[in-house]
Amino acid sequence: MSYPTQTVSSSAISGEESAGGELFESLRLELRRGCLVLAVLAQLEQEHYGYTLRKSLAEAGLEIEESTLYPLLRRLETQGLLTSEWREEDRRKKRFYRLSPEGARIFRLLLAEWNRINDSITRIVQKER
Amino acid sequence: MELLERYLQAVEEHLPRRGRKDMLAELRSNLESEIESQEEEIGRDLTETEVAAILEAHGMPVMVASRYGSQHFLIGPTLFPVYWYTLKRSFPLVVLAYAVVQVVGMLLGSQNAGDMGHRLGTALGHFPGVALTFWGVMTLGFAAFEYGQGSLFPKMTLPKWSVRNLPPLEAAEGKRYSCANSVADLIVSVLLVVWLLAIPDHPYLLLGPGVKLLHGMPFALTPEWHVFYWQIVGLMIAMVPLKALTLLPSLRHARGWIRLAVSALGVMILVVMVQVRSLFVAVPGTSLTNLSSLEGVNAGIAFGFKIALAFAVVKFGWDLWKEISARQHRQRAHFAAVL
Repeated sequence: MSYPTQTVSSSAISGEESAGGELFESLRLELRRGCLVLAVLAQLEQEHYGYTLRKSLAEAGLEIEESTLYPLLRRLETQGLLTSEWREEDRRKKRFYRLSPEGARIFRLLLAEWNRINDSITRIVQKER
Repeated sequence: MELLERYLQAVEEHLPRRGRKDMLAELRSNLESEIESQEEEIGRDLTETEVAAILEAHGMPVMVASRYGSQHFLIGPTLFPVYWYTLKRSFPLVVLAYAVVQVVGMLLGSQNAGDMGHRLGTALGHFPGVALTFWGVMTLGFAAFEYGQGSLFPKMTLPKWSVRNLPPLEAAEGKRYSCANSVADLIVSVLLVVWLLAIPDHPYLLLGPGVKLLHGMPFALTPEWHVFYWQIVGLMIAMVPLKALTLLPSLRHARGWIRLAVSALGVMILVVMVQVRSLFVAVPGTSLTNLSSLEGVNAGIAFGFKIALAFAVVKFGWDLWKEISARQHRQRAHFAAVL
């Protein structure tokens, strides 16, 4: 049995999605849920407001719906992982987010965990091949 | 920009009250940035259709607003197994309590079989409402606990447990324990006792419409029945608490022995029945032919009870032997594990 080990692009996922149907979609969303938090924390090592954060994630290959991202930012702030401030930029008030010290600590731990899981999956998949 | 204002107004309607203005201001700022960014990209103002496409891609207002809520479930994944277990365990008890209350009310308040049938229909018709109320109250209680966990109530923690304290394998002891079967058995026992107690005052419960024929018969029940009747009722009543004990999880290790005690009471009922020499006696004026038939009927019924008693004793002996064997098997397994 062989598995695809290369990075899968969004368009490739869309193709697979239609083939896999609802079950695949449900499993894909489950898999993505935890990854999104990690990606957002990583991206917020630098300051962003909601729209530019979404754009930068999309440019890096991770599309997130606005209606998912904006509430997620508020939740992470409530949990103390982010700090935010309203500031004017280009004649418009915007809310800027960045990692809090606690957020930075949690991010390092999560990243280490992510790398461990990634290594394990890679080893398991290679052994299967 | 009218579309944007209408969209934000629709979202605002569903946003949580706390922090609503702040959420809406942030949403406005992000959507305006997106519109501006696209306008910069194409070098002109967006048309109404293009703005509508951005807003529709953002999501239906009620769904967008719902994601800002702090809790999207009534009972969370940690509490849900406890909720489900409690529902499953307590529902049979609700059925039991309802059945007992209805049957007692039926027997005390019914004048005839037709009246009883009507009351039975009413009781069955009301049960879905009772079951839904029970489910609703339980769900609301657990939802309130979930909501107040950590603030109003202490956070739920699972009790410490050890695999060594789990009940022994039931498969080795033959038939597996079923809570539903035990509850059904208990309900039947209670109904049987109530039925037996009601028979003297309501003979139609025993014979139905045939009760009218009894008055013209040349024989009647022996007076000894007054003694045996109460002995049987007493033994049947003694079975009820024993059967209720089998429902207690803390007594699961003793279920086999409790069932044996119930069987023993069943054997004793048959012993009582066998002691009755004549079940029916002739009334004055009975013909010789009828007297001879009556003797045959008494002998036949007495023989039937003796056969039933013999089977019951053999079955009791077999169950007792199985229980003792299972106990020895468990002890050997325990010692093997310890050593």
